[in-house]
Amino acid sequence: MAEDWNQDVGEAVYRSRDPIKNLRIRVTLQRVTPAIALVQRVQEEDANRGGLELQALHNNPEANRGPHPNEEKEEVVISWQEKLYSQFEYELYQNEAACRTPLDHQYYQDVLSLERGGGRKNRRIFTYTDHDRYTNLEEHSQSVTTSLDETPTFLVERMANVRRRRQDKRQIDGVGMWHRFITWKPSDDFIRSNHIINTPVQTMYIMADLGPGGNLGLREHEHVLCTVRVDANGVITLKPDVTGTKGPYRLEVEGEKRQLWRYTLQHVSESVQKEEQEREQHIYKDLYSRHKEYLNSLVGSDFEMPPAGTLRVFINGEIVSAQEFEYDNLYVHFFVELPKNWSSPGFQELSGVTQTCRTKTRARDSVAYFCYPFNFELFLSEEADSEETTQLPVLFFEVLSLDFWQRYRVEGYGSVVLPGTPGMHVLTAQTWRPVELGVLTELKRFFIGGSPELEDLTYVRVPETFQGQRLSRLGFRTKSSGSLTVRLHCLHHSRSFLDGRSLRKRMQSVLDHLGHSSQQSSIQNVLDAFQRARRRMQQARDSLPLDILNTSKATLEQSTA
Amino acid sequence: MNSHTHELHYSPTCAVMAEVHIIGQIIGASGFPQHSLFCKWGVHTGGAWKLLSGVVEGQTQVDHPQNDDMAFWSHPIDMHFATKGLQGWPKLHLQVWHQDTFGRNELYGYSFLHIPSTPGTHSLLSPTWRPLGTWQEQICQMFVGGGPQLKSSSLIYGGSDRYRLQTVAMGQVHLQLTVILRNFERYGVECS
Repeated sequence: MAEDWNQDVGEAVYRSRDPIKNLRIRVTLQRVTPAIALVQRVQEEDANRGGLELQALHNNPEANRGPHPNEEKEEVVISWQEKLYSQFEYELYQNEAACRTPLDHQYYQDVLSLERGGGRKNRRIFTYTDHDRYTNLEEHSQSVTTSLDETPTFLVERMANVRRRRQDKRQIDGVGMWHRFITWKPSDDFIRSNHIINTPVQTMYIMADLGPGGNLGLREHEHVLCTVRVDANGVITLKPDVTGTKGPYRLEVEGEKRQLWRYTLQHVSESVQKEEQEREQHIYKDLYSRHKEYLNSLVGSDFEMPPAGTLRVFINGEIVSAQEFEYDNLYVHFFVELPKNWSSPGFQELSGVTQTCRTKTRARDSVAYFCYPFNFELFLSEEADSEETTQLPVLFFEVLSLDFWQRYRVEGYGSVVLPGTPGMHVLTAQTWRPVELGVLTELKRFFIGGSPELEDLTYVRVPETFQGQRLSRLGFRTKSSGSLTVRLHCLHHSRSFLDGRSLRKRMQSVLDHLGHSSQQSSIQNVLDAFQRARRRMQQARDSLPLDILNTSKATLEQSTA
Repeated sequence: MNSHTHELHYSPTCAVMAEVHIIGQIIGASGFPQHSLFCKWGVHTGGAWKLLSGVVEGQTQVDHPQNDDMAFWSHPIDMHFATKGLQGWPKLHLQVWHQDTFGRNELYGYSFLHIPSTPGTHSLLSPTWRPLGTWQEQICQMFVGGGPQLKSSSLIYGGSDRYRLQTVAMGQVHLQLTVILRNFERYGVECS
């Protein structure tokens, strides 16, 4: 057969913000008989040839189908949760004795009114809505394998009792739920209404009764054509998908007579008018912009900026931990030294002392945890880049220990260069402490505390007072000790970052200079000097009164003339 | 020196605010002497910062791990801030508590960290410490639990008075934080 069956019967998920009651699906169901297949084949060929010879045959099937047009082909447009009765239900709800629930009585009334109106319109296609028993119970007890006696497991039975939705009343006592998270003695109803599903789902089945001709209304001939699920967030799940450009679905009926049915699903909901859609979008846009304005008014738009010509460096940091030091009960004393061109606001402390922390053993190392917060706000004046190189601020620290008799010992000296790039930096600095020759000082340190100390902590790096060609530490003995971990979050803030890429790059180069050769920096200096001169000239030109410019131009013209 | 005092305010042509989203979780804690732990947390920001949505403090459940290795809380953190200044970048302080078999709660550790200012996902380890009492208190604590606590949490996120404290190192808290920044580049701030 030439027909392309649609093999893909998987789920399709859609999302819509519009009310679900507008959903319409057109279902076309047709039995595939050899005659139809033949006719279609012929029609196709007919179309290909464009001839006239098979005109008679073309009309034939319609004549054949005349007595039972609905038998072979049926087309229904179904809206969301629209109830179409099956033959079985139609007969059942005609007598009032069978009705037990209020829903049954409503169906009874509906069926009566349908009967008065001349019977139901649909024959084979019918629906099970969200309220029907089928939806709630029987969907879980369907067999899933071809096994002849597939018995539902315990889990299946339990799942069948779980209503896959949440009751509306839950939202009302939502405030009450806040106070007790756990219901220790849940009732059966509670379990039924609260288990499993978090978003309420409404389900609808489009079914077909594929029984033989005059024998409709038997349960075993009912087949699901389409399952539609909609949750409260507007997510629509169709299984299978509506057939758009794809071919129809096939449905093979097991039984003594193997019948083949083809059906198509079409999405025929009325779409929104263009103007209406635009209006809706406009309203949404308006709403969002108003909300944004409201948020803006909460904060205010005047962002705090550093003065022009400076780079503001924010450093949020923590002294995290100290590892592998000799003695216990450690504390850290630190300060930041600002090199030339750097400044900081006067009220800001650039030093600190942590708490004393007793160490613990972590993977055979002794560690002390500090979590000591500090934040520095440093300013680098932009003229700095005309100098040779910009030095970065350095954090100097000493780790000390305090013993039972309140004596302290120096455990180690170290330093961390504050990073020149923004971002997060976790730095671990190794430390050392000075020792003297001989065992005497070590004995002293052990018994009565105290040990040689540095007079100036900046000796860890190049001392402040150092002037000379080479730094010599000859004769100075040290003993390496533990390490200190510092975590730094850096932010750079400057007006010049706003002025465009080139300046921004130049600013970046201030910090890049550090690693570069002096030659490169001198080229940079020349370029910068040129830039400055050019800018000055432009400024001078701009500040000139217009008439001077004009007259000069006029004289120029005269001279050329 | 006094450059900070005459600070200029800059407002671009269209009003945009610098926004920070902090999304993540307090994963759990490890390295504590006992398990059955819970955590109280809070975020502290400067005056220029405004919380637009989310909660800035909370408490996790008590987790009693099956394999005595690490307590997992997986406690969600989701905040949205807007700011008009960089000062007072959000800081997170944590308190880890232990609940014993009698239902008594004792403090196991304080911790502190700055929220990263680099956009992206960060896996962070935050070590904790606990104030140490006198030796009598320590012995008492060994048998019946308890122990001294801080009078105010300002000591955790401020460093100036820390030197008064005698502490002992405790375990570590594991966090995962994702930071999303918006419009900072419009004000000339480089974050990464």
